[in-house]
Amino acid sequence: MKGRRRFVRRAPPPAAPFSPRKLPSRSAREEPRGESRSRAPASHAVDLAIAIGPMRLRNPVLTASGTFGYGDEVAHVVDLAALGGVITKTVTLEPRAGNPPGRIAETPSGMLNSIGLENVGLARFVSEKLPRLRALKATVVASIGGETPRELEELLGTLGAEPGIAGFEINFSCPNVAAGGARYWAVPRRLERTLARLRPLTRRALIAKLSPDVTAIGDLAIACEQGGADAVTAANTFVGMAVDLLAMRSRLGRATGGLSGPAIKPLALARCHECARAVRIPVLGSGGIMDARDALEFIAVGATAVQVGTANFIRPDAAVRIVEGMRTFLAERGVKSIARWRGALLEAPDAQACAPPRARRRSARP
Amino acid sequence: MIAAPRAWRQTAGIIARQAPHGAGHWWLDLDVPAPFAPPAPGQFVQILLPPAASPVLLPRPMSVAAVTRRRGGLRLGFLYAPVGTGTRALAALSAGDRVEVLGPLGHGYPLERPGTPVLVAGGRGIAPLLFAADALARRGRRCELIFGARSRDLLVGLDDARRRLAAMGGRLHLSTDDGSRGTRGNVLDALDRLSPRLAFPLALHACGPHAMLKAVARWGMRHGASCWLAMESVMACGTGVCRGCPLPRSARAIAEFDGAKTPSLYGNREWAMCCTEGPVFEAGELDWERIE
Repeated sequence: MKGRRRFVRRAPPPAAPFSPRKLPSRSAREEPRGESRSRAPASHAVDLAIAIGPMRLRNPVLTASGTFGYGDEVAHVVDLAALGGVITKTVTLEPRAGNPPGRIAETPSGMLNSIGLENVGLARFVSEKLPRLRALKATVVASIGGETPRELEELLGTLGAEPGIAGFEINFSCPNVAAGGARYWAVPRRLERTLARLRPLTRRALIAKLSPDVTAIGDLAIACEQGGADAVTAANTFVGMAVDLLAMRSRLGRATGGLSGPAIKPLALARCHECARAVRIPVLGSGGIMDARDALEFIAVGATAVQVGTANFIRPDAAVRIVEGMRTFLAERGVKSIARWRGALLEAPDAQACAPPRARRRSARP
Repeated sequence: MIAAPRAWRQTAGIIARQAPHGAGHWWLDLDVPAPFAPPAPGQFVQILLPPAASPVLLPRPMSVAAVTRRRGGLRLGFLYAPVGTGTRALAALSAGDRVEVLGPLGHGYPLERPGTPVLVAGGRGIAPLLFAADALARRGRRCELIFGARSRDLLVGLDDARRRLAAMGGRLHLSTDDGSRGTRGNVLDALDRLSPRLAFPLALHACGPHAMLKAVARWGMRHGASCWLAMESVMACGTGVCRGCPLPRSARAIAEFDGAKTPSLYGNREWAMCCTEGPVFEAGELDWERIE
């Protein structure tokens, strides 16, 4: 019963005061969402530090790729040093102009985007963006994307040893491109083989960002682990549509886009949980995280870190507020470290009702 | 007085006044504390409603229609129509309610450029142009303001416009498609009629529906007038990071883009970003054939 053993390996269940059932009700989180700075008892600090492969982060909150530029654009209003990390906009080998308008459509409790991986390309990334990233007071994770394994190899071959980048997130899940997007990469064997080719190219952290629009995201996570990834991100946006009935056409320039925001949080939470049960490597939870409680829910179901995306569009300092809110929430409950919170809900009684985890082979990590 | 890039900040604003402004439109006065940089005419802010009061997620970009300095900060004026979910929720708020304001964003009208200033407004496009007229008056420059709409009901805030313009010595030219007020026809007919009486070169500053802006841009290019147009787009962030508001560049602008060093949150060679490069564009910067 490998599955049972895995649960035992996890951090012990938290003591009674912060049993998940005793979390304050949703209605208690009236605005301002995610902040309650003044109530933190000063008596003890909460250890929020985490590790993802070789990468050490001061706290588990990162900004999601494509929602925070290259970090320095908002440095005049956001304390970047307070973030766990900044994940940059996905870079591809060649520059991409992105999709025609409309690229954004707001939907109930969420938004669709169809940006289409607009970016400056590898050459200008190296000459213009890298020097700025090195000057950043934040841990930088560079997101890279490719239409083939070879393109990713070329990107990582160039960037893999560059100073100023602590890790790489491979975007295996863009829903808005014609080739090399989420559909292409949602094949476990392709993911495993690709990561096995990428692994020798860098000693930095390798994170695989997965699409949630698959039958079993846990299978993809296992493939990534076996290919040598240090972590997986669960998950990218969900494919969605919005129609303008009066104009009788899509509200986006393309038929579909990627749905993000609070609308997808329950879906993303389940994908995150599935991944956390399937693999030993860290999982980065992402999807609709708007405040500290959202973030702590992902960590409770097994995420090691979280990514904040859409919330950055609403408040540029959303991720910093989440770090503060997290610290306050844990301090008030006497939790001394985020490691004690992680996976708390993997021990919940109904976890046994889930499908039994698949048998796994040994990790292929060197 | 275009604010330097990245002078924006997000701060709590308090609604000082909300009142009907005619033709189903509302006027909103919003107090923001210092140090909020004063927006220039044509610039916009993102207004975020408190979650409890709003069914929408994203902030709404709103063009600034007036700025007055007051003790401890600024009073920003906005003219809007409650036509969507977000603006209807905004209209339901009253004096004393709080919203979050992020700005000032984008580039405004280059009012310092030489040429006889002619402001061309369509419907509620009057909002930034009255503000522009204020700014021109402060520089001691008189302006002509052409204000057009389909019918006289849709000349939003006409009394206010007349009062403000009269106080600063500007001249108001009205036109309606149905001839119910001012001259019959659209703003281009009014422009044709007015322009022979003005000293060239002209500097046109326009705001209104994209179809009108397209026509004004073509008129400007045909007559050798410099022409500045405030564009609209759906936006998420308003600051350039989401890449959500592209507008097509003209061939000339692409050629210029290729050689130039551009700020990082501007668009790419094919697309300009409405939020960071606009919302006010020079007519020759955009490919009007591809703009809807």
